[in-house]
Amino acid sequence: MLVAPLGIAWFAAVALVLLDGRRARVGWFAVAALGATLAATVVLAVQVLQDGTVRSVAGGWPAGVGITLRADALGVVFAVVSTGVLLAALVYEVIGGVQSPTFPALVLFMATGLTGVFLTGDAFNFYVFFEIAMISAYVLTGYGQETRQIRAATIFTVVNLLGSVLFLIGIASLYHVTGRLDMLGIALRSDDVGTQPIILIAVIIFVAFGVKLGLFPFHFWLPAVYTSTRPSVAAILSGALANIGSYGLLRFGADVLPRELEQGAPALLLLGTVSIVYGALQALSRNAASEVLAYSTVGQVGYILIALGVGGQIGYASAVLFAVVNALNKTLLFLSVELRGRLVWLAFVIGAFSVAGVPPAVGFFGKAALFRAGIAERSVILVALIFVGGALSFVYMFQTEQRRFWAGDADDPSPLARRGLVLLLAGLVVALGIWPEPLLALSEQAAAVLPERRP
Amino acid sequence: MTLLTSLTVAVLFGSGAFLVLKHDLIRVVVGMVLISNAANLFIMSAGLTTGREPIHPLPATETIADPLVQAMTLTAIVIGFGVAALLLSLVYRVYTSHLTVDLTTLGEAEERAEAALELEAQRDMDVEEAGLLFARPERERE
Repeated sequence: MLVAPLGIAWFAAVALVLLDGRRARVGWFAVAALGATLAATVVLAVQVLQDGTVRSVAGGWPAGVGITLRADALGVVFAVVSTGVLLAALVYEVIGGVQSPTFPALVLFMATGLTGVFLTGDAFNFYVFFEIAMISAYVLTGYGQETRQIRAATIFTVVNLLGSVLFLIGIASLYHVTGRLDMLGIALRSDDVGTQPIILIAVIIFVAFGVKLGLFPFHFWLPAVYTSTRPSVAAILSGALANIGSYGLLRFGADVLPRELEQGAPALLLLGTVSIVYGALQALSRNAASEVLAYSTVGQVGYILIALGVGGQIGYASAVLFAVVNALNKTLLFLSVELRGRLVWLAFVIGAFSVAGVPPAVGFFGKAALFRAGIAERSVILVALIFVGGALSFVYMFQTEQRRFWAGDADDPSPLARRGLVLLLAGLVVALGIWPEPLLALSEQAAAVLPERRP
Repeated sequence: MTLLTSLTVAVLFGSGAFLVLKHDLIRVVVGMVLISNAANLFIMSAGLTTGREPIHPLPATETIADPLVQAMTLTAIVIGFGVAALLLSLVYRVYTSHLTVDLTTLGEAEERAEAALELEAQRDMDVEEAGLLFARPERERE
């Protein structure tokens, strides 16, 4: 069961490489394969949430020798969300006509990489799947083949490659000091090793994930890339690929190196704060909608960092919840940003409400969870910061909404099917906002996987 | 030996970082290749044991080198190779569309593109303001 989502996506991707993805039939085959992957992931998720963590060792080796695949609540939540986002972006492109023969195959490869990252229990295997996802992302950024997209792909590749190399160095160092590669083993052994070497490794790994997420000091590549790529690719990058960063911080920070996370908490809170304020102010000062969304992404990941810095079950649960909500918001907004028509306006407004954290959109619960974490931390500054950040995002989202939609639509509305897809996503955002219990329970169960360190 | 390896890794990584900051995209790619090779060497040196090659049958008396880091390095080399090829093809695409691989010239092109983007957004805003005051009624009259 554990390998089913991986296998479906992988074999479909290999088959799709041989086919011309521009044909509608091939495109719909890719959609069907990704749909099957999503279904398999959901089945796995239900199994995991009912019966607890599923483990298997690849190749029938004894545990400790072979590569462990491990599906726990935290991993499956991220796997389901990322595959769902990829599916939405793929359907969006297939409806409008795919322009490059390799696009569907690349999306499937990325689904393989992302599912693998979320379902592996081995640090080096994590790196391998992570590279599969990243390499497909490098190629996808150039999708459209226009000059600015190629330029964006070059920036994206060079910067993120540096991040990947740092991560690889971090994994090798962890192996050297603990003698293990499986995450469970590293977590057990790292308690015996002194803080001195491990805190340095933790910083290297944090920087690597910070580059992927686009946190404040490492965000410089993000606006150039998000504004130049096509909307569907921007949705994939911010809705699916960025999950690697949030998941990686949760997994390596809270699960594998909890002691180091606690020591680094003040730095996380500080960087998160700067990220939120900087992202919001930059977003306020931009005119183009895609640029506003790009800077908004920089701001939104700051919240995840703050939730991690607060720590404990409350902090981790709100980090998971906020990561999921943010992925949904950004997918909806990036997909709707270039469409025209009244229904698109409705979808965009719902997305804007969700980013600002206004009910009935699901974003409200993301912000509410953060407030709860701030209150649990007994920090007035944190609560004030989350409030100010929310207010600023309200202003910049509606500034964009005015510029984008109040001018009246001179052009004809976009294809009905695309508008329908965006509305469907908006409907999901509202539905989860009206009936949030499953999502809240899910995030709490995901956080329960992580060891409790602080009250 | 440890000192020699760490010095090699440091020099490789340093030269790579130096080249990545250059204004020529080909140098940037070469720099990335150097950096990923520094990482490969680093993984090799992270092995827990040193000694004979770990090939079956294992020698009874001597220690063997850690086979795990070698497997890891092999994987990392393959990934690094693939990414280097991808980077080169990207640089080639940049060259065919800009006829240059110099980052200063490319940066100017980027600035022009951004200025166009801002101009477009500004025009949308103007249309919006005009639209609210005058354009709407006229369009309706038509």
